[in-house]
Amino acid sequence: MLPQQGGQRMTWRTIGSLRESPLQRLDVRSKLAFLLATTFLAFLWESPLLTGLLVALILLLCLIAGIRMAYLRQMLRLMLPFYAIVLLTHGFWNTSVGRTAIWAAPQGWWLIGGKLRLTSEGLVYGLMVVFRTLSLILVIPLVIFTTDLNQLIVGLVRIGLPYKVAFTFSATLRFVPLLLEEIGSISEAQRLRGLALEKMNLIKRLQVYARIAVPLILGAMTRSQQLEIVLATRAFCGSPQRTFLQEPRLRGLDYALVVLCLGVSLVALWLRLRTGLGRFVMP
Amino acid sequence: MGQDPLVHIDNLSYQYPRAKDLALRDVNLSVRRGEFLGLVGPTGAGKTTLCLALSGVVPQFFGGRFYGQVTVAGLDTVETPISLLAQHVASVFQDPDTQLIANSVQDEIAFALENICLLPEEIRRRIAWAVQAVRLQGLEGKHPSELSGGEKQRLAIAAALALQPEVLVLDEPTSQLDPVGSQEVFATVRELNAELGITVVLASHASEELAGFADRIALLAEGQLVDVDTPRRIFARPDLLSRYATRPPQVAQFYQELARRGMPAPSAPVTLEQATASYEALHEQIQLRLCEFAANMSAASGPPLLSVRGLEHVYPDGTRALQGISLDVQKGEYLAILGQNGAGKTTLVKHFLRLLQPTAGQVLVDGQDVGGFQVSELARRIGFVSQNPDSQIFSSTVEAEVGFALRNLGMNGPALAERVEQSLQTMGLVEHRSEHPLSLSKGDRARVVIAAVLAMQPDILIFDEPTTGQDYRGAQRILDISRELHQAGKTIMVITHHLHLLPGYARRIIVMGKGVILLDAPIRQALHDIPTLSGTFLSPPQIVQFALWLASREQVSLPVLTPEELAACFRSRVGSA
Repeated sequence: MLPQQGGQRMTWRTIGSLRESPLQRLDVRSKLAFLLATTFLAFLWESPLLTGLLVALILLLCLIAGIRMAYLRQMLRLMLPFYAIVLLTHGFWNTSVGRTAIWAAPQGWWLIGGKLRLTSEGLVYGLMVVFRTLSLILVIPLVIFTTDLNQLIVGLVRIGLPYKVAFTFSATLRFVPLLLEEIGSISEAQRLRGLALEKMNLIKRLQVYARIAVPLILGAMTRSQQLEIVLATRAFCGSPQRTFLQEPRLRGLDYALVVLCLGVSLVALWLRLRTGLGRFVMP
Repeated sequence: MGQDPLVHIDNLSYQYPRAKDLALRDVNLSVRRGEFLGLVGPTGAGKTTLCLALSGVVPQFFGGRFYGQVTVAGLDTVETPISLLAQHVASVFQDPDTQLIANSVQDEIAFALENICLLPEEIRRRIAWAVQAVRLQGLEGKHPSELSGGEKQRLAIAAALALQPEVLVLDEPTSQLDPVGSQEVFATVRELNAELGITVVLASHASEELAGFADRIALLAEGQLVDVDTPRRIFARPDLLSRYATRPPQVAQFYQELARRGMPAPSAPVTLEQATASYEALHEQIQLRLCEFAANMSAASGPPLLSVRGLEHVYPDGTRALQGISLDVQKGEYLAILGQNGAGKTTLVKHFLRLLQPTAGQVLVDGQDVGGFQVSELARRIGFVSQNPDSQIFSSTVEAEVGFALRNLGMNGPALAERVEQSLQTMGLVEHRSEHPLSLSKGDRARVVIAAVLAMQPDILIFDEPTTGQDYRGAQRILDISRELHQAGKTIMVITHHLHLLPGYARRIIVMGKGVILLDAPIRQALHDIPTLSGTFLSPPQIVQFALWLASREQVSLPVLTPEELAACFRSRVGSA
């Protein structure tokens, strides 16, 4: 669970970034360029060393931006079972890179005896896949948590998204903390009625989670109806002529970042094609 | 103040889609330019629907059947799009959190202005104006979640006001605020009305405030306009008000009580100022007599049922929510915990159930540290009815909801059926047993949740703001239940900032402010302790304020808590020896 807030309300700030950092002053478009470049690199490179460095860089930026460690830990914990599966599948079944066996099923074993092998190359390749997904998982909150939602809307509109779509996107994001808070209070109410999750098996737990859905969905529907009414009474009509108080302005740092992202991506592509840098090699 | 009607409601009837009954029925009402109109009436009277009809949301957003005509500033609210009407009618709603949509105070105000395509210079000019009008200067860059309840509602007003509308329509804007937030909002609305001449339509249960601010009061009941007149004439009709479950201001109740006791009571005042001003005339006919009030708290004895020792709690963001709380609660007590929002009331009681872990200190129940128990185990001994009933309902029938906890405790068969039956009967829900809890009224839903908690037969029952969002009768009904449970031997704790509801129920009052206990005293002492109450931004009920004024004028002690008690302290000069 997320950090308990008791009587306090939850916002993006309490679950996300708390600190003012240079990242918050960047324009959303340059941050989107960074997001695109890291995604491109994560898929271009197959080298565990390079993808590992990419994760390290993003992690460092997360720390500078003040993203909560509790949040990062929570993400990792959620992904852990998935990563275990990735490592094991590549370790056992990746035949395109797998060479050196570090363990093999004894001959006598039924069906798999002598055939199933765990290779060190497969494991390292799996690790690279883990790094690849990690860089994506970390870079998205890095962009969202350091961006003012209004700036996000304006930025998205300026790169060509219709205002209504951009607004809906940001309204959804805004509701995430409210929903998390609601889930917290519903599950609290269930515990207060003697429900002991800690003593339940998985199936029972799933049934309990399903019960949360009813009040949650009803609550969300009421809230979204209230939101629609509020929007209507604030003259919202999704007009494309709409003005913006703060027109986003790209500053020197933003241009530098966009150029850097583009440059690094192109150079990496050229190196990959010409010299093969970023190909899978065992470290 | 001009005399031409700005709002015209002509034979308005309205039915929501899929609803059986009309929400509004033949309503005729005009509001003059510059007028302040209060809307009162019980829950379900049609106040919200009437407010929504002024902004065009009814019927444009909901659909349904609409008869008659509503015009605002000459615009027909059915034919003019809501977004265009918004430039004439500003709307402010009940919940401070759902109506704020931006990430800073200035963006919130800018939102509507951007929608009507104003240029940034004009938007900046209007933000500066709106921020000043609601006194939020200096907070322009703050995130709405960093504001207090009163500030949030004032921001919602500013955001609507920036469109420079002629009418401001507010639907119970203070029902979720503590007294200080409520005062801020009323003061702001009054200023906008008096100084900028903005026409105001405000629906509220806060009779004392409406009496002081409104030019006229419209009483609605069952979708019909029962009467519309000056506050003094509306609130001085006890028969009418009690028939429609609406509470008159306490000073008016005092005069009514005098009359009931056969004493001469001329036209009743409705505000504290009117009451003090008209006391001289009253004094010629009646006089104070000596009256005594028993201190109704017995001395504590035996080991405490619940004991809090040096409790501290620091939230992850560093907020020190509790700073060394110590408290003993005996079996069979009825206590109320008061304090402004953020005083630490909910944080404190959550520790009793281990929903929060102490940073320092401990909580003992029956001498045992709660740290050694699971939440589910503690819930059997301490029933906690939290604020919003809707997030505490998970079952498809009332009966299943009440049995939910018992099944979790491993009960089944006849034993379970018997307990459910008992709990349904106590709460008067037997007739609703097979209905869906969410199909019931708000008051009934609250009782379903209490029944569900009660089924576990806890020794202690805690109610967190049980009267928020309930009308006068609904609130009283819930408190009556708490009193019955108290008489049946339960220990009761109520968290509230509705001070006027407490006399007759709570015996001991704990006043909290900024994470410490400011006062722990019998109710008679606590509600008369103005310095302590104002220290946590609470003000005593109107009748207590009047009694304090009387006491200092007559040089006597008058520790009364209700209009009835005060009336009992007087006797008629005529016919007395």
